[in-house]
Amino acid sequence: MRHGSDEQPRHFTPPGDAPRVIDQGSVWILVAAPSIWAAHFLLSYWVAAIWCAKAGPMASLVEPRWIIVALGLISAALIAWLGVIAVRRYGGVFVIFEEITESSERGRDRFVGHVALLLCVLSVVAIGFTVIPGLVFATC
Amino acid sequence: MTDEIDLSRLPPPEPYDEARDKAQRKRLMDVWREPPGWKIISAVNNSYIGKWYLLTSFAFFTFAGILALMIRMQLAVPGNDLFSQQLYNQLFTLHGTAMMFLFAVPIFEAVAIIILPEILGARDLPFPRLSAFGFWCFIIGGIFVCGSIFFGVAPDGGWFMYTPLSSDPAYSGLGTDIWLLGLSFIEVSSIAAAVELIVGVLKSRPPGMRLNLMPLYCWYVLVVAGMILFAFPPLIAGDLLLEMERAFGWAFFDPDRGGDPLLWQHLFWIFGHPEVYIIFLPSIALIATMLPTFAGRPMVGHSWIVLSAVGVAFLSFGLWVHHMFTTGLPEISLSFFSAASEAVAVPTGIQIFCFIATMLVSRVRPSVPMLFAGGALAIFVFGGLTGVMVALVPFDWQAHDSYFIVAHLHYTLIGGMLFPLFAGIHYWYPFVTQKALNARAGKWSFWLMFGGFNVAFLPMHWTGIMGMPRRVWTYDLSDGWALLNMVSTIGAFVFAAGFAVLALNVLWPRGKAPLVKRNLWNAGTMEWAAEVPDKPWGVRSIPYIHTRYPLWEQEGLVDQIDRGEWFLPDAEEGKRELIVTDILDARPLFVQRVGGPSFLTLGAAFCLGASFILATFHLWTITLIFGAGFVGFTLWWLWTGTSLIPEKPEKYAGRGLTLPTYAQGNRSPGWWAVFITMTGDMTAFMGLVFSYFFYWTALPDFLPSAEHLPSFAWLLVGLALLIGAWGMTVGARETLGRGQRGLSMALLIGALPVGALGIGAWGWSAYAKGLDPTAQSFDAMVWMLILWPALHLLLNWVMSLYVAARIKFGHCTPEYRADLMNLALYSHFLALTVITIFALLALFPLLMGVGS
Repeated sequence: MRHGSDEQPRHFTPPGDAPRVIDQGSVWILVAAPSIWAAHFLLSYWVAAIWCAKAGPMASLVEPRWIIVALGLISAALIAWLGVIAVRRYGGVFVIFEEITESSERGRDRFVGHVALLLCVLSVVAIGFTVIPGLVFATC
Repeated sequence: MTDEIDLSRLPPPEPYDEARDKAQRKRLMDVWREPPGWKIISAVNNSYIGKWYLLTSFAFFTFAGILALMIRMQLAVPGNDLFSQQLYNQLFTLHGTAMMFLFAVPIFEAVAIIILPEILGARDLPFPRLSAFGFWCFIIGGIFVCGSIFFGVAPDGGWFMYTPLSSDPAYSGLGTDIWLLGLSFIEVSSIAAAVELIVGVLKSRPPGMRLNLMPLYCWYVLVVAGMILFAFPPLIAGDLLLEMERAFGWAFFDPDRGGDPLLWQHLFWIFGHPEVYIIFLPSIALIATMLPTFAGRPMVGHSWIVLSAVGVAFLSFGLWVHHMFTTGLPEISLSFFSAASEAVAVPTGIQIFCFIATMLVSRVRPSVPMLFAGGALAIFVFGGLTGVMVALVPFDWQAHDSYFIVAHLHYTLIGGMLFPLFAGIHYWYPFVTQKALNARAGKWSFWLMFGGFNVAFLPMHWTGIMGMPRRVWTYDLSDGWALLNMVSTIGAFVFAAGFAVLALNVLWPRGKAPLVKRNLWNAGTMEWAAEVPDKPWGVRSIPYIHTRYPLWEQEGLVDQIDRGEWFLPDAEEGKRELIVTDILDARPLFVQRVGGPSFLTLGAAFCLGASFILATFHLWTITLIFGAGFVGFTLWWLWTGTSLIPEKPEKYAGRGLTLPTYAQGNRSPGWWAVFITMTGDMTAFMGLVFSYFFYWTALPDFLPSAEHLPSFAWLLVGLALLIGAWGMTVGARETLGRGQRGLSMALLIGALPVGALGIGAWGWSAYAKGLDPTAQSFDAMVWMLILWPALHLLLNWVMSLYVAARIKFGHCTPEYRADLMNLALYSHFLALTVITIFALLALFPLLMGVGS
């Protein structure tokens, strides 16, 4: 995001850093887990659509079943890794009655980590929803 | 971590001085006052634009509501011929179109423009003139689309305008063109508002309002504006394809020429389903904002609501095919979308449970807004449950296109969107007008609407199950739907009566009524810090925020703001000023100057509107003239109002804080606006990429043989030239940074012919092989993928010449070069587009073994 030429006009230094968007304390971790869900969803859709379009309407779905399972497991593993980052690096916790209202950088980090963790759980659940039909259906 | 200024340890304010306070107030008033008399139409202040936006949306709502009553009159008795079939088709099409595009989405923008800056403790949004431009586009486009019914040429193909009915001009007349062009125009204004709101939430928060302290309303606005950015562009891409087929006969949806009508359904619903949530989330956000006020405590599960907003935003993009369950897609594909449609109920449910929990742990004060909020939840949960039913494929096959669906969608939209909005109207009316609404009339309007709604729409579940198809003109007595339809019609009129009471209550002149007291509801969010009577500057001084509910948790805040003890209490330079802060922790970055009243935005909106309207009638010459007028007005507006070099590089903002008065690159809101707009533009392009692969998946012989492919060599030459033009633009940015103004201008202007040759080479690669867009879908797709970058390149040229002129006249200098940085950012996106197209046209056929 940062370009060398993005520096401010010289002569004065504004307070603080430039907006830190990708490094530690980034907000992208919030959208990372649902993005993995989205990628998994689209991949499943494409695999199925192309398989069924190219192999015929009554094609068997038993052979590509391992693809579905593998996609689901890889996505879940990626999200678990994100969850570990959310806990370790951001200090995210899993609580129901959230009161992370501390006005500090650490407080903001913990809030982002907490929400990221919740989104990880939701994303894994949603991926589970997508995997189930792949295991049940025998034909297109 | 960082050497940030510790905002909690600022020097104390200067002692209060009444004379100084008066002088500051006078200067602020002079700067923020709106133009008198009829010139008020040039106002850009969010409180004016927001109010106009809101009233205009409600005018369209009333119009669409009258159409609904006409539909109900037609269906009241069997065998009715009150309205002709042609008119009836126009009625239901325009009802859906106006409700969705002219009310439900714009009202989100209207409400956000009114209250978002105030909730953020900001004076205005970062681009007030863009808000004004969006509003004028909206009203022009809306009147055009709605007005068509008075000439008998309103769109009549249903609000989702399915092909091939809509792609063949013989079946669908002018109405479809009006629909396509009018709505594309309004989508432009929606995307403009989305850009404004995203930048507003990210960069215009008050100092100290970190992400964990940001009010829920802002989270929802951020999420929804982001969704608009990814949902609307695919429809614009679809509109473009459909209009090209209608106006010039390009083969996109015609099966005889290798097209596929189903493509439209995909592109429409990739927009259409997220749109439902784009409508729902901002309204539920209103409940999330007012509920803590009446509960007298912070929201339970603040972060869980953030989770559900973000979660719904994502999952809602995986639902689009559930509108297409009966189109014969493979069952495994349907099941993925069915699963996602079930999954989205999880985050949606979470936020409802958070609301209920907040009400359970507190004593909720009874009030009219809470009455509407309670009614909303009851209706919405009912509609949500039928939603889970129709998300199941076998049930949907039975209920598809029946009145059951009509009942379901009205339960979700009226419960999820309209009732919360009415709650919001009652809640924020005193904030906007400083007068109180009549509570008795409020209760009457609620019960009339709540009762009328259920009487109208509950029976439709039965008529639907009994087989009544949606959009049917009339029915026979023997169908057995007569009684239920009569009940529905009566309910609809009771509902309308309730709305009439509400409208009367809101519009009732209250000139002599007493002003309400400040912070009437004892709320905790910043918008209620506004003085009574209201001042045009929004907030007297911009405070430091370190809690979620500042008015509850920061003692004495309102008095401090009033005494001008916080930031920017003055307007010494006679300029409208905002503080721009960083995304994560809202640390003050710089003081942004924003534009005041202007007729230029009006002129730009008028010309753009005229060119869209004239294009409907295929009057190409005048269309181009007005198009040029639009470009002229916009350039004039940009030249005189953006990236102005400040008179001094920094200024004192109060409380020991000195801030720069200029920013460029990713510190400046302008850079973010370009970034966000271009993200939307890339999404539209992705719609075209999707179309390409859709054809390839659906049609076995989509890719032609090698001799009919655009020539690889010419594509490669074109790519090299286009990337070269991009490199020259980036080079111009670097050389200007080093102070070489002449070289920088030369590179900018030199990039023009290089880019032209590049796109020319691409055009030649297709032309030389005889690709005819009216003959085959592949040819049409290739030409579209060349036309797309060509149009962007045209814009790039205008921008390059503009920036070169800015350098020439000293408005863009080595030190202050925001314009050139924004142009470079634009060209990065263009380069990415060009590379993707090369991959599609040159590499993909090769990969599939058909290239030479």
